[in-house]
Amino acid sequence: MEIIYTDVLVIGGGLAGQRAAIGAKRRGHETIVLSLVPAKRSHSAAAQGGMQASLGNCLGASGDNEDIHFADTVRGSDWGADQHVVRMFTHTAPKAIRELAAWGVPWNRVQRGEHEITVDGQKRTIAESDAAHGLITSRNFGGTGKWRACYVSDGTGHAMLYTMSNQAIAAGIPVHERMEALALIHDGGRCCGAIVRNLQSGKLLAYVARATCIATGGYGRIYRVSTNAVINEGMGAAIALETGIASLGNMEAIQFHPTAIVPAGILVTEGCRGDGGLLLDAAGHRFMPDYEPQKMELASRDVVSRRMEEHIAAGHGVQGRFGEHLWLDIRLLGKAHIERNLREVKEICHYFLGIDPVRDLIPVRPAQHYSMGGIRTDHRGQSPQLRGLFAAGESACWDIHGFNRLGGNSVAETVVAGMIVGDSIADFCDSPEGELQVSTALVEEFGQRERQRLAGIGSGNGGESAFELTRLMQDTMTGNVGIFRHGDRLREAVDTLQELQCRAANITLRSSAPGANPELVAAYRLQRMLKLAQCTAYGALQRTESRGAHYRADYPRRNDGEWLRRTLATWPAPEATLPSLDYEALDIMTMELPPGWRGYGDKDHIAHPDTERRKHQISAALAPLGDSADRYTRQQALMPFEHLLPPHLRRRNQRLGDES
Amino acid sequence: MPKTLSALSARMDLLQSLSGLLLVLFIWAHMFFESSILLGEDAMYAVSRMFEGEPLFGKPYPLLVSAAGIAVFLLVAVHAVLALRKFPGSSRQYQLLNRHLGVIRHEDTTLWYVQVITGFCLFFLIPAHLYTVITQPENIGPYASADRVWSERFWIVYALLLLTVHVHAAIGVYRLVMKWYAPTGVQAGRTRARLKRGMWCILAFFILLGTASLLTYMRIGYQHADSAGERYRPASAPVGAR
Amino acid sequence: MNRIPVQEVRRSLQIRILRHNPHDPASKPCLQTFELEEAESMTLFIALNEIRQTMDPSLQFDFVCRAGICGSCGMIINGRPGLACRTLTRNLPECITLAPLPGFELIGDLSVNTGKWMRGMSERLETWVHQRDLDRADIDQLEERMEPDLAERIYELERCIECGCCIAACGTARMREDFVGAVGLNQIMRFRLDPRDERSDADFYALVGDESGVFGCMTLLGCEDYCPKDLPLAAQIAFLRRRMVATGA
Ligand SMILES: Cc1cc2nc3c(=O)[nH]c(=O)nc-3n(C[C@H](O)[C@H](O)[C@H](O)COP(=O)(O)OP(=O)(O)OC[C@H]3O[C@@H](n4cnc5c(N)ncnc54)[C@H](O)[C@@H]3O)c2cc1C
Ligand code: HEM
Ligand code: HEM
Ligand code: SF4
Ligand code: F3S
Ligand code: FES
Repeated sequence: MEIIYTDVLVIGGGLAGQRAAIGAKRRGHETIVLSLVPAKRSHSAAAQGGMQASLGNCLGASGDNEDIHFADTVRGSDWGADQHVVRMFTHTAPKAIRELAAWGVPWNRVQRGEHEITVDGQKRTIAESDAAHGLITSRNFGGTGKWRACYVSDGTGHAMLYTMSNQAIAAGIPVHERMEALALIHDGGRCCGAIVRNLQSGKLLAYVARATCIATGGYGRIYRVSTNAVINEGMGAAIALETGIASLGNMEAIQFHPTAIVPAGILVTEGCRGDGGLLLDAAGHRFMPDYEPQKMELASRDVVSRRMEEHIAAGHGVQGRFGEHLWLDIRLLGKAHIERNLREVKEICHYFLGIDPVRDLIPVRPAQHYSMGGIRTDHRGQSPQLRGLFAAGESACWDIHGFNRLGGNSVAETVVAGMIVGDSIADFCDSPEGELQVSTALVEEFGQRERQRLAGIGSGNGGESAFELTRLMQDTMTGNVGIFRHGDRLREAVDTLQELQCRAANITLRSSAPGANPELVAAYRLQRMLKLAQCTAYGALQRTESRGAHYRADYPRRNDGEWLRRTLATWPAPEATLPSLDYEALDIMTMELPPGWRGYGDKDHIAHPDTERRKHQISAALAPLGDSADRYTRQQALMPFEHLLPPHLRRRNQRLGDES
Repeated sequence: MPKTLSALSARMDLLQSLSGLLLVLFIWAHMFFESSILLGEDAMYAVSRMFEGEPLFGKPYPLLVSAAGIAVFLLVAVHAVLALRKFPGSSRQYQLLNRHLGVIRHEDTTLWYVQVITGFCLFFLIPAHLYTVITQPENIGPYASADRVWSERFWIVYALLLLTVHVHAAIGVYRLVMKWYAPTGVQAGRTRARLKRGMWCILAFFILLGTASLLTYMRIGYQHADSAGERYRPASAPVGAR
Repeated sequence: MNRIPVQEVRRSLQIRILRHNPHDPASKPCLQTFELEEAESMTLFIALNEIRQTMDPSLQFDFVCRAGICGSCGMIINGRPGLACRTLTRNLPECITLAPLPGFELIGDLSVNTGKWMRGMSERLETWVHQRDLDRADIDQLEERMEPDLAERIYELERCIECGCCIAACGTARMREDFVGAVGLNQIMRFRLDPRDERSDADFYALVGDESGVFGCMTLLGCEDYCPKDLPLAAQIAFLRRRMVATGA
């Protein structure tokens, strides 16, 4: 088998992977990026709406800072997030955006003078200051206290990914495209690379690396209706799971985006609502204020999606040819605004629906959108179980999103995580731990195993079709593990998935075409996807509470008493049909923001006894500081985090009006 | 530091367009002068004398016409040499191009291809015409020209030349604009459609004008066929001048 | 309120696909026809997947975003280059012919290696911001200001998705393999416009001042007419040509 040696192997060419690669490479480590597709086609390019960073430049953002971003994110996560990591994240996000600005992203800028905006269905005029003119502007997004989503029209992800890729090309980082990692090579405690399949020739090869970083994005394609790209099949998370050692965190935490067009499931950005768009029902009635008087259309995504489904269930949906849906109305934003700031939306409506959103309503319904769960890592991005394995981006559960991610926090996470994890990878390689002695026998063993697995699929003659089973899995997930979950339905899903797993062992290939063989690809991915689906369904079944995007109709309340815990799934025995679940408690006593009401959504939850204690502790810690203490000092007193960051990322962020 | 490229490419590109533009301006002007025949023999006569420098020097110098012909020939040569670079260079390229044209059926690409074909024809037709102009500059005039057109069967050359050169020129001008000043902004598509309409109008105009004058030459030539070789004498001409 | 056009009659589509698997020595390019019942709102993405799932599992094609934003699915649709994922079958006749984009290395059937070509182009034209000490940019301080209008103009050119349609639509690119095409010239313009890029016109001339660059373009305008993102390619190339002539000549 051909073996390629490198210092750092990054699996995934999206924003997270490439930023991590750039970080490692800058520190002098030879780095190779693998990707299923050309790097610039990674799904990061699809992010439309924006990237959250508390720059606080424009009027709607003034007064914003890390503290508010922190609180929004923690509330958004329904207290599922790791608050230390959220602090690291909110502190680094402005730096990430400024770095990207220097590298070439054409962020939209503040224009001085008067502007017309649409708020709550009404036109209003605001005036931007001279001082802010030309700085990076931002738009309103769901679940945030300030206008914080920095954007490039509605092609934010595209602009970011192109800039990132171009910088990676400038840095001379090779991207081995159309390469799929099939398995991680490890000796039980240390990851040393991956077995990889060339998707053009079908050949297997091995990449041996001192550090391996998985940045393979989400696994939305386990669902039938998803906004995700068709390559978002979670193979990175799956191969980590298949080590039997590394764990996946919170796999049941799946986000459904409120506005996917019907029937294609293609996303129209949250920016539509952020910029003033409304949700209407069959009668043309704006229903969100009835449910969420405070934030209305701009409550966090889990809440809006749930309210929409609730409203449809109550009989207010529009009967369409593809089932029921609701309307998104952006007509009130006006032609000029739509053509400037929402042009991808306009294009999508034009090509996929044949309508013009300047004049027409957009048919929407919630669809699977984001995977909060992923490969569990520590704050440095390393797997706690498997040394030398790192993860970043959507494929990781670094855990800033907990049980619900805020719009715009994801691309921000990819870049911030890339910056931080790239550095910890380099630290790891520089340390004695980073030394790698790996025998070719081990590599061959793993290669052999994968070869046999593939041959096994090829030779099976049980008559099952990979495409058919994939469809069944997706239907099960969309039908039973969706927005509203229930014990019975989840049980059913778990059973069905187990059955599918058995059937997947009997797949027969109709084609043995040399080269990539798309049918073979579908077959081996299905086997892995089923495991991810099972982690999701089984995790959801076990979690008998409602938190963030995970909503159990039979357990509608958030239960901090029992469930302020992170689910950890591992798959120790390859032939098993269920993961083994473990739980990691979140310690309220170290939290800067103890659990409470999110400010939207349901008000009642079952509190944890520590919550009150921690609140007292916090008041006690703040009292001696008095009112004169600045926010940095106060924060420091509650939950110091700077020491967790790489030294060059520790300095404070300057904002408009601060001394430089 | 990146490798440095020579300035030659830039100059050749510019020169190709400039020579084309000058030729277009020339041929359009040429059409007006030469169709003076439509206004009658006298008008045409006056124009031909004018180009022989009579108004300036008091007597005609046909050599001036030869000189102009040579100059135009050189310009054509420069243009042709530069433009020839754009011809498909090998049979492989030619095949690829042909397949492309057949499959995509794209209007502007086809227009360019028409230019290539007409350019190729002009490569033979222009020298044929300019040869007579340069070698027999004195044989330009209402009768001399008409005789050439009719009795010497030059109308065949002219008909072909007329069609090819104007198609080539009209497309050329449209393409020049797109090449150097393509419209931009929200109206870009509309402006381009207008330009294209302009191109067809110009083409139609010159073809009509040229056909009319060619027919006129043919009529005169037909009527004058019996005394071919005789030169025209304007009613007002002083005795002695031809 | 609902203006989505409704289509009543179900057609039977004939999809002819140019098949070839270069990894199989026995494979020869040939057209294969598949018959398929048209569904409501069917795109070529849906149609091709249905063919692969129910008729021929070896069929190769590339889709990623299936939303017209990633540029993976460029192919020749009834003779014209376009993005398959956002092409609705109802806008096409019953007989649909699909072929891979020419000008790129064929991977198999409708799948071509645009990624490799684009990476080559990027390396050759150095499509990134050139600035001294970029890796030491101060990211703690306020960002450099930029005119809002300029940022939008840069984005206008940045919208290219490297789908390769402009290369497939360009007769020049057909004839000369080293031509950087509209996609490359547009990217040069994008960085030329960007004040963060310190390169001068002389530097750009060194990259595109020859027949494989801007002077190779013969203004065939296929790029402009088939760019799925409607980039103002003709105007950009014209402008670049003027700048490069001013610099070079
Ligand atoms: C439609 C849509 C809109 C969005 N809009 C926003 C937004 O406005 N704001 C926001 O913050 N977030 C948004 N998100 C979320 C955000 O875009 C993603 O979470 C983020 O871009 C993920 O980046 P990533 O680098 O982790 O992974 P990706 O960009 O998905 O990249 C994954 C990479 O891994 C590679 N890969 C996968 N498996 C393998 C394998 N087995 N071997 C080798 N390589 C592999 C792929 O080729 C790819 O290069 C949106 C998401 C979607 C779906
Ligand atoms: C021997 C004669 C000629 C030949 C072989 C010839 C050939 C060509 C060719 C092949 C082109 C296309 C070049 C390109 O696209 O880059 C061209 C362009 C052009 N030709 Fe000619 N041509 C000839 C004579 C003329 C004449 C007589 C005129 C004027 C009436 C003319 C006007 C133009 C113009 C304006 C262009 C566009 C220039 C450009 O694209 O830069 N040509 N010619
Ligand atoms: C200085 C150079 C030229 C002179 C003096 C000249 C002169 C003439 C004259 C006098 C005629 C009338 C017919 C005749 O006398 O034979 C004529 C016809 C014509 N010439 Fe020229 N010509 C010149 C160059 C050209 C060139 C370069 C072209 C083409 C590119 C051209 C295209 C034509 C055409 C198409 C006709 C026929 C017109 C018709 O159909 O009415 N001429 N020219
Ligand atoms: S310029 Fe247009 S056609 Fe060319 S690659 Fe970019 S998006 Fe595609
Ligand atoms: S099609 Fe080709 S020749 Fe030029 S104008 Fe476009 S690049
Ligand atoms: S699949 Fe992404 S553009 Fe078509």
